[in-house]
Amino acid sequence: MIDFQSGYILRPVNPVFIYFSLFCALLLNLLPFGNYGWVPNWLILCIVFWNIHQHRYVNVITAFFLGLMMDVHNSDLLGLHAFSYSLVAYIAISWHRRIVALSVLSQALHLIPIFLLVSLFPVLVHWALSGELYWWALTGGIQALIESLLWPLATRILLAPQRRPMDVDHNRPL
Amino acid sequence: MLIDFRFKALDPIRNYVNWILRPLEYVMMAPRNIFETTSEYFTTRSTLDQENQVMKVRLAELSLLANQSEFLTVENQNLRELMELQKQVPFKTLPVEILFNPPNPISQRIVINRGMNDGLKLGNPIANDAGILGQVVRLYDRSAEVSLLEDRDFAVPVQVARNGLRAAVFGAGRGNPLELRYLPVASDLEVGDILLTSGIDGVYPPGFAVAVISKIERNADKNSSNVFCVPVAAVNRYRQALAFLYDPQFDAKAPSSNIKPVNGTPLTNIPGRRQTRARGMQ
Repeated sequence: MIDFQSGYILRPVNPVFIYFSLFCALLLNLLPFGNYGWVPNWLILCIVFWNIHQHRYVNVITAFFLGLMMDVHNSDLLGLHAFSYSLVAYIAISWHRRIVALSVLSQALHLIPIFLLVSLFPVLVHWALSGELYWWALTGGIQALIESLLWPLATRILLAPQRRPMDVDHNRPL
Repeated sequence: MLIDFRFKALDPIRNYVNWILRPLEYVMMAPRNIFETTSEYFTTRSTLDQENQVMKVRLAELSLLANQSEFLTVENQNLRELMELQKQVPFKTLPVEILFNPPNPISQRIVINRGMNDGLKLGNPIANDAGILGQVVRLYDRSAEVSLLEDRDFAVPVQVARNGLRAAVFGAGRGNPLELRYLPVASDLEVGDILLTSGIDGVYPPGFAVAVISKIERNADKNSSNVFCVPVAAVNRYRQALAFLYDPQFDAKAPSSNIKPVNGTPLTNIPGRRQTRARGMQ
């Protein structure tokens, strides 16, 4: 796969690294930060990243099961996150050809709507079910902005193993 | 989602996922716990001394009260027997630890470290030393989810301590003060009144502090008053709490199957508890 930032061809991805990073993101999500709207959702960041870069390994089904986990952790309706994660995974996969070719910052801009959808989905579903809109819960939008700000960092970390040079000359680094 | 909302049929799946997820949650709670224990370990001697002093005074006061309350309870039970009133139900308490506060924009919940295996039941109240915190709303084997007072439409039947006026306190969502609803303008309420559980619902034992009235807006046009209160117990602060294993047994029986229709007449009005469902989510 071509790295559009530098123009080099990336190394093949290691599936173990993908699943390890998803697992780490899940663990980060389980950190007891308290019930604050702005705490970034590491898991969806990771899922969307792999959906865009390696959609053959992380697809809608993976997103569904990880969403199910988050439902139980967040004590939400079962299927709420599962549905929103798989919806977002679908959108990300269908956009991936367009997004990969952009620069990292405009990628982050393009992903704001995706993250907004994930953050506000529980509020919207609750609105549909009970007819009451929680204005307070719309602060989830901040979470989406923080997540898209973290996107360049995620790109840097998650693509690092693939950006290693093929053969390193130990006498002349660089 | 609809299946979970309407039929609650997916609880086994939730249980299994929870069974996988809980150890991971415990692992991720370790950094916070380590941080807390180290900061506790390094508290200075003078702080501990001060704390000790305050504790001693408090202990003296409480033990004095306890001696009296023993006498008062016995007297109360005897009087109730004389007057043929229903006896107060004694109940056990179970110390619980609050594990974490799940990130959820539309509800205020906590997860505690006791569950079905420790004898906890659905609907058991949770309180700390100051007053009521909430109620168990979902049970797992070794943990449970507790809805807090602040949760939207979370209702507790209360009594004003000063004059015994009965009302119901409702949660109004995150960060909003609790509300006393359905009260006429002329009701005898003052700012600073303490609201105690009244015990008529059979869920909360009577006489525990719930909230203090903080603001009253009387609306003569609609003959209603908006009363706002603050919870007595610090809802989001401490890690330790108590669960009341309270079962008053004066609740109406659930409709049982041994009432048979007589001669084919349909059963329209069976005595017993109605099956009700909370409005909104879960």
